[in-house]
Amino acid sequence: MAYLAELAVRGVLLGAIYGLLALPMSLTFVTVGSIDFALGAYAVLAAAVGSTIGGVAGVAAGLGAALAAAAAMAAIFAGLKRVGVDEPITISLASFGLAVAIGSLILWVWGTRAFVLHSFDDVWVLLGIRVGPQSLINFAVSLLLLAVIHFLLYRTGLGRMMRAAAINPAGAELSGIPVTTLQTGTFVSGGLLGGIAGVLILFSAGLDFTAGLSLTLSGFGAAILFGAHGPLRAFLGGILMGVVEALSAGLASGAVSAMVPLVVIMVVLAAGTVGGVRFSGDRP
Amino acid sequence: MTYWRARTNTLVLLAGAALAGAVAARDAAWLDIAIAIVINALVALSVGLTFGQAGILSAAQGSFAAIGAYTTAILTLKLGWSPWLALPAAISLPAALGYGLARLVARLAPLAVALATLTLSAMVEIVLRSWDDLTGGYVGLAGIPTVLSGHPIAFYALAVGLLAIAVLVYENLMLSRFGRALTTIRADRARAMADGVAVPGLLSAAFALAAAMAGAGGWLYAHYFSYLSPGSLGTELSISVLLMMVVGGARTILGPVAGAVILGVLAQLLPAQEVQGLFYGGALIVILLVARNGLLGLVRREGAL
Repeated sequence: MAYLAELAVRGVLLGAIYGLLALPMSLTFVTVGSIDFALGAYAVLAAAVGSTIGGVAGVAAGLGAALAAAAAMAAIFAGLKRVGVDEPITISLASFGLAVAIGSLILWVWGTRAFVLHSFDDVWVLLGIRVGPQSLINFAVSLLLLAVIHFLLYRTGLGRMMRAAAINPAGAELSGIPVTTLQTGTFVSGGLLGGIAGVLILFSAGLDFTAGLSLTLSGFGAAILFGAHGPLRAFLGGILMGVVEALSAGLASGAVSAMVPLVVIMVVLAAGTVGGVRFSGDRP
Repeated sequence: MTYWRARTNTLVLLAGAALAGAVAARDAAWLDIAIAIVINALVALSVGLTFGQAGILSAAQGSFAAIGAYTTAILTLKLGWSPWLALPAAISLPAALGYGLARLVARLAPLAVALATLTLSAMVEIVLRSWDDLTGGYVGLAGIPTVLSGHPIAFYALAVGLLAIAVLVYENLMLSRFGRALTTIRADRARAMADGVAVPGLLSAAFALAAAMAGAGGWLYAHYFSYLSPGSLGTELSISVLLMMVVGGARTILGPVAGAVILGVLAQLLPAQEVQGLFYGGALIVILLVARNGLLGLVRREGAL
């Protein structure tokens, strides 16, 4: 029983990272109607740069690199819109290309080595459950960012504009809301949040150049688990995925636990609640 | 004659492949590259069919190729089947899996379907890596029997033959009422349903056909290189063929094949294997920004093809 409780706690702490990745995922999904496949690549890039420079400067440089990569994605998005491409599928195809390019860049510069740094060696025991201080920091940071985004979306003018642009882009445009600018900004914010997630993973389990796509998928799975409506659901989706993954990792094999996020995504997709547009309703 | 007049793509392909074969046959290294390009072209053709005609952006074609390759490898290595006997299995297993997946998700929005294929691809990779007894795990399978191992030009001819059959089937599909129904679905799904088209069924069938083509590509790969590991096909190939399709043009039948040739030749000029993704990803973005319908799309707009 204590073992199960420990697994569950570990899962909640792990899930906070998925929740953190799910935040920008759901923001992009709602405001642009598309997926930024490069999200996981921003995280890996931040971790790679952060581990090379090290310390606080490394964290700052890592976040800077992730922001720069996300700015490139935002520029690509703006460019595609300018030449008249606005199908979500083409935008996500372009972000897929960026993800591949960033992964290849990381492989070229850093090689296949894993990026991992340890800030704490001791383990705390709370009520008989062992937890690492770093995972508590991860949880606190993720929770803080969730609060910031929630506040931003539901308590500020910017958030109101974003929600308006998400619900009715054409109407928002007519009301003088700069929809394209907001959407571009959403892509850039994905770089910041993805970068923070990457730095947190760097100080916890670590990652390597192949992690990008699976981080994107985990974030996406978390974002859609309870329906892509707002940051709180996305975060809770991340927590649930973390708990299920930790439980299956503790009780079954590694391959099974790696399957869990994928099975969750498949079941949610097959249930047909994602994407809104169904066959019969896809005429404008 | 009228039969072939309506099927110019197959003829163009055969002529081009014969010319390329004649040039490449002088140099063993180039013949090797040409064979790899034809295998890639077969998988690229499959992604062209799913995206260009059925509107399904598939990130799983490399995984279907991997399934075809592993099927034939396991049947020939562990059960001692002849490679020719294993070919139908290597084609039909990916097709069955593709049909099942498409039936599950074909009614959804395009983005959701794309993510489902990406998820499937990640699942296949985990299975290949962890099912040690059957797939050899990380180590992979070595010593797969080769076919037509005399002169590589014979294998080139075999690969081109399979590719030509795939192009002919694709062309016949597009000329049939099913092809016209696919075109209607892409333009207006509600209209297609009103016309009495069984939309999810038809999309799933097209997806299964594409998966079968990818499986044939995997069969060629396994029996040419005679070695398989989880990294040899799979996600990386899925991404490359997507790019080949975008570069060549998804709507045209031969676009993905042209893309495979162009990128296959250009990739020889790259300084290192690691930068391939950088080049591929960058080219994908540039083509989307500059020539959305691909290079063959440009040609067709000028009225040349």
